[in-house]
Amino acid sequence: MEKPDQRLFEADLQSAEFRIGVANGQWGLAEQDKIPPDAAWPNVYIWIAAASRPNAPDRFYIRLNAAGYRSVPPTSSFWDPEKKAPVELARWPKGKPDSRFAKVFRTDTWQNGKGDGAFYHPYDRVPVADHPGWTSAVPKWTDKTTIVNYLEEFHALFRSGDYVGV
Amino acid sequence: MTEIACEIFIHIQGRAPKVVAAKGDQVLRDVLLGAELAAEEMAEMAVFIGECQDALAEPEDHEDGADVHAEIDINLTVEALELHHRKHVHCHKCRLIAIEVNFGGKTKGRKFSPAATIETVTVWARKKFRLDPASSAEYVLQICGTTDRPRPNQHLGEVASPETCAVCFDLVKEETPQG
Repeated sequence: MEKPDQRLFEADLQSAEFRIGVANGQWGLAEQDKIPPDAAWPNVYIWIAAASRPNAPDRFYIRLNAAGYRSVPPTSSFWDPEKKAPVELARWPKGKPDSRFAKVFRTDTWQNGKGDGAFYHPYDRVPVADHPGWTSAVPKWTDKTTIVNYLEEFHALFRSGDYVGV
Repeated sequence: MTEIACEIFIHIQGRAPKVVAAKGDQVLRDVLLGAELAAEEMAEMAVFIGECQDALAEPEDHEDGADVHAEIDINLTVEALELHHRKHVHCHKCRLIAIEVNFGGKTKGRKFSPAATIETVTVWARKKFRLDPASSAEYVLQICGTTDRPRPNQHLGEVASPETCAVCFDLVKEETPQG
């Protein structure tokens, strides 16, 4: 039997707002051959389209842990669909130095290593736990925030001029 | 085409958008009735299809422009309206929505179709205020007097009230996570 967080997440996947992004080619659920055979809730595998950059893929896969959805933000990491494993930090997408993109997808050690592999953003519960000031940030995660807000936020970063490739 | 259902998105003012499956030989009026838009409501609304991006082609120095987005005949079929390709149906009392965007002590205005997305308005506004395209992506629209920032994929018809047919935005810089 599905848990309440899973039911809510799956209902949001059926929403027009999510389907519009799929129809626009902005994001989608990862294909079955890109995820582990034993993949199970609360892990969800999603791709987000990216602007064209030399030697970079046209989409990035993420493994999103959506436990507690929508009460708390998810936490995500980049996912290698071929190796079926998290992407090493050295191979994460990169932004211009000091740009918002580079800060969100930071690859240094932060929160004493607890943050490594998460996104430095108010939509990721790992940094939020150590940044009480972010509860007044915009955007911030509330119980009205959905996977669509999340995907539009990160899709916008991958379309920005600050994204330079991998 | 007539046998295969296509996925279309129905945007009715004041309601969350709906996704419906429609067959090519279905008349749009019936699709809208199936999406719980009563015939009396339908009669009061303009219906548009697709997404309107007229503003993106507007010269930078053009002031007070307006979209030209023709209403469609809801008695046509899904196939005749090419909805398998155009995807979106918008039903709104406002034929045009007056937008004002404030930035740097200045205001720029334009009238947009309810079928224009927030993304289209944002790109137009960044261009009007002559922000560098390479670094302007951090600037987003926020509804005046609030901290509400509509999503880029949202259509103006979902944001504008049918009473005023107008929306005021501030163009604000996204916060970079700190600390």
